[in-house]
Amino acid sequence: MHIPDGILPASVCLGGYATAGAAAWYSLRKIGQKENPREGIPKASLLTAAFFVASWIHIPVPPTSVHLVLSGLLGAVLGYYAFPAVLIGLFFQAVMFQHGGLTTLGVNATVMGVPALLCYHLFRLRRLFGSDSRLGTGICGFLAGAAGIGLSALAAMVILVTTIPAHLDAAAERASIYALTLAHVPLMVVEGVFTALVAVFLLRVKPVLIEGECREAPARRVRGTE
Amino acid sequence: MKLRLDEYAELNSPLHGWEPRYKLIGITVLIFAFAFVRDLRLLPAMLAVSGILYAFSRLPLSFLLARLRVPGFFLLIVVVLLPLFSGTTALFEIGPVAVREEGCLDLLLIVVKFVSILTAGSVLFGTTPFLNVVKTMRALGLPAILTDMILFSYRYLFEIGGNLRALETGMRLRGFRGRSLAGLSTLALLAGTILVRGHEQAENVYKAMILRGYGQGGSFREGFQARPRDLAGLLAVLLTAAGFVAAELFL
Repeated sequence: MHIPDGILPASVCLGGYATAGAAAWYSLRKIGQKENPREGIPKASLLTAAFFVASWIHIPVPPTSVHLVLSGLLGAVLGYYAFPAVLIGLFFQAVMFQHGGLTTLGVNATVMGVPALLCYHLFRLRRLFGSDSRLGTGICGFLAGAAGIGLSALAAMVILVTTIPAHLDAAAERASIYALTLAHVPLMVVEGVFTALVAVFLLRVKPVLIEGECREAPARRVRGTE
Repeated sequence: MKLRLDEYAELNSPLHGWEPRYKLIGITVLIFAFAFVRDLRLLPAMLAVSGILYAFSRLPLSFLLARLRVPGFFLLIVVVLLPLFSGTTALFEIGPVAVREEGCLDLLLIVVKFVSILTAGSVLFGTTPFLNVVKTMRALGLPAILTDMILFSYRYLFEIGGNLRALETGMRLRGFRGRSLAGLSTLALLAGTILVRGHEQAENVYKAMILRGYGQGGSFREGFQARPRDLAGLLAVLLTAAGFVAAELFL
């Protein structure tokens, strides 16, 4: 899902930067509503690094192995910090490991970061089951994990197939989008199960990580009410 | 904390000495001008410009080749599929499959743009220490929250990576092989442990940083001083970028 440089036209790359800029602005605005916005930065940063490292884990999907994207889990744990985290992770990948690209950073961040924000809200539905419910955490974790990669894959494929400078006819484009998206369904299941397992583990071991200590952006306290 | 990226950042060349703010603006604009090109006649000029830029940087060729070695999954798909499915004019046939002219030309455009952009990007990040790049982005207006997060994540990325390797070694020594999906729950525990450790470390780091005055402000503009030749370099690169855009629009 890391679209490299050279494939997309400049207009799409600039559009990607515009949407990524809007999503980053929205996220930073929400983070800025905290009483001390800088307080959550070290935590979010170390977790960003931890997520980046966790995505290096090889998951065996015989006959091969895959790396998970973890955008759903990122949204569930980091909340509004998820978009900056995705942006930074993709910047590192483009600069240090040549995965993705500099011109496509905005597109890639939008494709992976916006679903992460949506997954944050999806994961919050676990409150309907009670915040201590392992079943609710598992179900919402699965949905967040599967939706994170599913939405990202769909968005990436649509952008890639419809804007790549190629002489493909409309039927071939549609078929390509369907085929490439369907190819991600097994990965959605694996990522969903993995996210559910990690979320239930965190609920048992460190519930504060998924209860919103670093993700919530409570309204600024009104002066004089303390 | 020295990356392969920073390996040649201390060499002496016109690109290394270029003021980082002007370098970041100039090369970024040039990269987007490359992305704008769709006319095949401009490809040799694009390769020449990125080649000249790289030669001026005095970076070794091995540095660029190492970065070009990871072309990415999508580029591989493009290389395989475009000549076979894009266009209608058959150049030649391999068994039942026709290799098409339009697809080959699309492929040529994509590959040359990829190489040129990656070369220019390698010059930008190969001639400037990574921490200076981040300071430059901050000086150019990147929000403080993003720059702080980049610096913290960068600082702990490889330390947490070392934790992961130690945990994986421990798992292998205890007999974990992870060759089937049955090991998924164990790998989920591994990922969860990495997150829990990162979180606990973050709490200690934050307390230590508060004691050292974190959040008291500070200017990222300090240390940047442009000279006339820096401005001349920026103008030259911007004119080159404008030339590509103009040629694409009017040729």
